[in-house]
Amino acid sequence: MGKLAIGCFSSLVGSMSLDFAIKLSEAAIKKGHQVDIWLSGNATMLSKKGQRKFQDYSSLEAKTKDLISQGLNVTACEACAESRGYHKEDTLEGFNRKSMDYYLASCFNSDRVIHIGGE
Amino acid sequence: MATIKKLLFLVDKPPYKSENSRLALTHAIASQTVEIHLEDEDNVEPVLAFVGDGVLNCIKGQKALDAYGITSLEAHIKNALLLDLKVIFCKEDLDKFGLTEDNVIMDAEDIGGDMIANILPFADILGEMEAADHILHF
Amino acid sequence: MKLGVFVNQYTKTNSTLDRIKTDNLGIILVQNGVYHAALKENGKDSDILSKAAKVYALSEDVISRGLSPDKLDKKVTVVDYNGLVDVIFNDYEKFIWL
Repeated sequence: MGKLAIGCFSSLVGSMSLDFAIKLSEAAIKKGHQVDIWLSGNATMLSKKGQRKFQDYSSLEAKTKDLISQGLNVTACEACAESRGYHKEDTLEGFNRKSMDYYLASCFNSDRVIHIGGE
Repeated sequence: MATIKKLLFLVDKPPYKSENSRLALTHAIASQTVEIHLEDEDNVEPVLAFVGDGVLNCIKGQKALDAYGITSLEAHIKNALLLDLKVIFCKEDLDKFGLTEDNVIMDAEDIGGDMIANILPFADILGEMEAADHILHF
Repeated sequence: MKLGVFVNQYTKTNSTLDRIKTDNLGIILVQNGVYHAALKENGKDSDILSKAAKVYALSEDVISRGLSPDKLDKKVTVVDYNGLVDVIFNDYEKFIWL
């Protein structure tokens, strides 16, 4: 089994790229692979507390938490989060916050890297 | 045994309208501290290549700090050179926009850097893609 | 180089993709990229389909847009997320998301 790093820099709502990243992670984990997601730029909002579910907006919190319980690792860029007024105490349980060098280490340690840029 | 993995940061978006090129540079520069997350002597070798509209990040004389109050992409490219990162601008794309080495950020001498940027044909950038362990396209 | 290129936009040209030359190229159509597999503007196939590459389309993105996986260009292999994981781990080594 392999390790997949997914860097996502796209918006939580609107781009559908985080939806793609989470669904791909789910399928990979089911097949026994390890997955490490890095959230940067607007994507950091996936890891913020207080998201309200509406049918008109992507809602990934519940699915992501479920995958974290199955071994998915999700880490948000600390500087990107802070610049958006989202602080450590606002981070959802089970999600990590780290500096950018962490993503490079994740790429180093992965067999496959899919880097999804921002809009 | 030490392992060095090459990461290619391939930038084809212009500056300022999106975060892409800025985050490419800040992540590439973050390679300076990646060792804290790795085993002894393992490391990452970043290469920054600007292609397509991405070469517009490389124009000299940016005044983003004055105009927008944010660090310019020029300052980030100079920092990358100061830290001895390999920086490549695609020759065909510079030619397309009528840019020459006189118009683009070729060095960081003014902040004490020795590294010079490279203007190379796309074929050489394709070579960097082949040599890289992973490609991060911004 | 075994390179997988994710195409998530329906743009007519991409200067990076147009210049990539490699023996093992895979193009994975996702999100609005799936239109390349379905639309024939003015009766013409998308240029992406004429590239020397294996082309895939993500089924969920096809059906969500009102397109039928059965009616895509015959060159295109339709995969779901499970199939895509296998493509990622078995068929290519590096990826670009365009």
